[in-house]
Amino acid sequence: MDGIIQASDLGVGYDGQPVLQGLNFTINRGEITVILGQSGCGKTTVLKSLIGLLPPLEGEIRFFGESVDYKSEFSLQSLYKRIGVLYQSSALLNSLTLYENVALPIRMQFPGMALEIEKEMVTARLSQVGLQYNGDKYPSELSGGMKKRAALARAMILDPDVIFCDEPSAGLDPITASGLDQLMIHLKELFGITFVVVTHELRSIEKIADKAMVLKEGKLHYFGPYDDLFNLDDRFISTFFLKDGKQ
Amino acid sequence: MIHTKKLTMPPDFSIRQIPSLYEEIQSLGREEPLEIDVGNIETFDSSGVAFLNYLKKNFSNLAILNLHGDLAKVLELFPPGTSSKEIPSPKPSFNSFLEGFSRRLTKFRDRFHFFFVLLADEIFHSFQYILKRRGVYPGEIMNQLFYMGYNSFPIVSVISLLVGITISITSAEQLRNFGADIYLADIVGFGMVRELVPLMTGIILAGKIGASITAEISSMKVLEEVDALKTMGLIPEKFLMVPRLIAITLAVPLLVAVANIIGIFGGILVAQFASGITPDMFLREMFTVVGLSDFFIGLFKTVVFGWIIVVSSGYKGFSVERGAVGVGIATTESVVLSISLIIVVDCAFALVLY
Repeated sequence: MDGIIQASDLGVGYDGQPVLQGLNFTINRGEITVILGQSGCGKTTVLKSLIGLLPPLEGEIRFFGESVDYKSEFSLQSLYKRIGVLYQSSALLNSLTLYENVALPIRMQFPGMALEIEKEMVTARLSQVGLQYNGDKYPSELSGGMKKRAALARAMILDPDVIFCDEPSAGLDPITASGLDQLMIHLKELFGITFVVVTHELRSIEKIADKAMVLKEGKLHYFGPYDDLFNLDDRFISTFFLKDGKQ
Repeated sequence: MIHTKKLTMPPDFSIRQIPSLYEEIQSLGREEPLEIDVGNIETFDSSGVAFLNYLKKNFSNLAILNLHGDLAKVLELFPPGTSSKEIPSPKPSFNSFLEGFSRRLTKFRDRFHFFFVLLADEIFHSFQYILKRRGVYPGEIMNQLFYMGYNSFPIVSVISLLVGITISITSAEQLRNFGADIYLADIVGFGMVRELVPLMTGIILAGKIGASITAEISSMKVLEEVDALKTMGLIPEKFLMVPRLIAITLAVPLLVAVANIIGIFGGILVAQFASGITPDMFLREMFTVVGLSDFFIGLFKTVVFGWIIVVSSGYKGFSVERGAVGVGIATTESVVLSISLIIVVDCAFALVLY
């Protein structure tokens, strides 16, 4: 397997105060890795650190074999050309239409792009998320599920290698959430996109996870294949999953 | 001889009964032994449980009798708590005062640093945009120009007219006493062009545009839109601020020109009706004192005020904390900061230019 993200002795936190320390993991290309744990355990903190919104306190992160210097604007810009992010709140720009939101990365990164090509690219992405007839709507006119799908279309528009998703199913009904999960699996299989997903929706985890990263009490509790989780004799993991009666 | 006082709680031990029971207990005093019989209680709620916990904590002379059933279980589950007020806090010392002072000083230094970094960044990004035409959403400068210029035109005009009228009325009265009515034109012209129009336009724009910039940027920050821009490889400070900085630089000269004309027109109206000075006389006298340089000084001052508004508002917007509450606080603070800085800079201009 091809390691796309490698973390060594990673320490993350806020204002110099560590939340998690000693994280070592490798995320492979074309896999969906789910970060899970109790509320407040640092799932989103890890995600924000990986994407440079919260520079790591210690350790090293390598993307595509190269070490990321989170203090260097140049290094971050190189990283951002190869990743997409789906935020918990969707983070669509409210002043732009859905089409303009999805086209934004093209217009800003490649200002010389012909409008016809841009239209083809945006329409294709909107179709993939089932929103091809909603391009002229503003985010305020969309439902929560549509916003999430639109944000996914925007995250995918420049064909990123990795898409980071922060609580993609949060606030969605089970059917819409399931549709979004199916979309991620579809994109992984069709385009080989790697997903790193923060969630604690058990139904979603079961459906999408190839790998699981379990965080507990400031440490990496488990990292490995999702299916192997249930062979472990681990009270925390069995409580996390089995108490809900899903297994 | 010591008498034990007894009090029996009613069957309905709920929030309706608690105030009167509280008063009754207080009147019994805390010296003599007190027995509370809870055996008759049939129904109770959380206020009843809180009441018994309060008694346990505060009445050392108290004994609770016949506690049984659900009430006993609930009291066991929810024992008297310790409120945060009762948690012993370290006594304020000189060291803690110094620590607090040092923390505030560091925070102030960081904010001061961020403000000037943002100012320098915006100037750099604006020039970079003018040269390379990248990093700003297409059409955004025109949108901002429309909002800042066209939409601000009515309020700036009305305020300038009223200020022109007010300054004329108050000055005309005084000048008449000295038979110097004609000098009203000098006072109004010079005052409006050099001082009042730039200052009033700056203050109006701080309230109208500054507040809206801060509210928009801080909301975007709270809703992760600023983070989204970053991870799309954009520079949010450039993407959001440069169109506004360029738009205000273009809009302000037009606003000032119009405001000057309307403000002076207000002065002419008063001069005509209060002092019998014709518009022709007014303008001829005014132009003996007010030159083109005064107009440009006023214009330059207003452009600087415009930059102060955009940078202060952006600074407050980008440094927002604590969600929706923070948006409100940042918006208010940005208007206060913009107006304060405008007045300080205006004072500096007066010292340098006069």
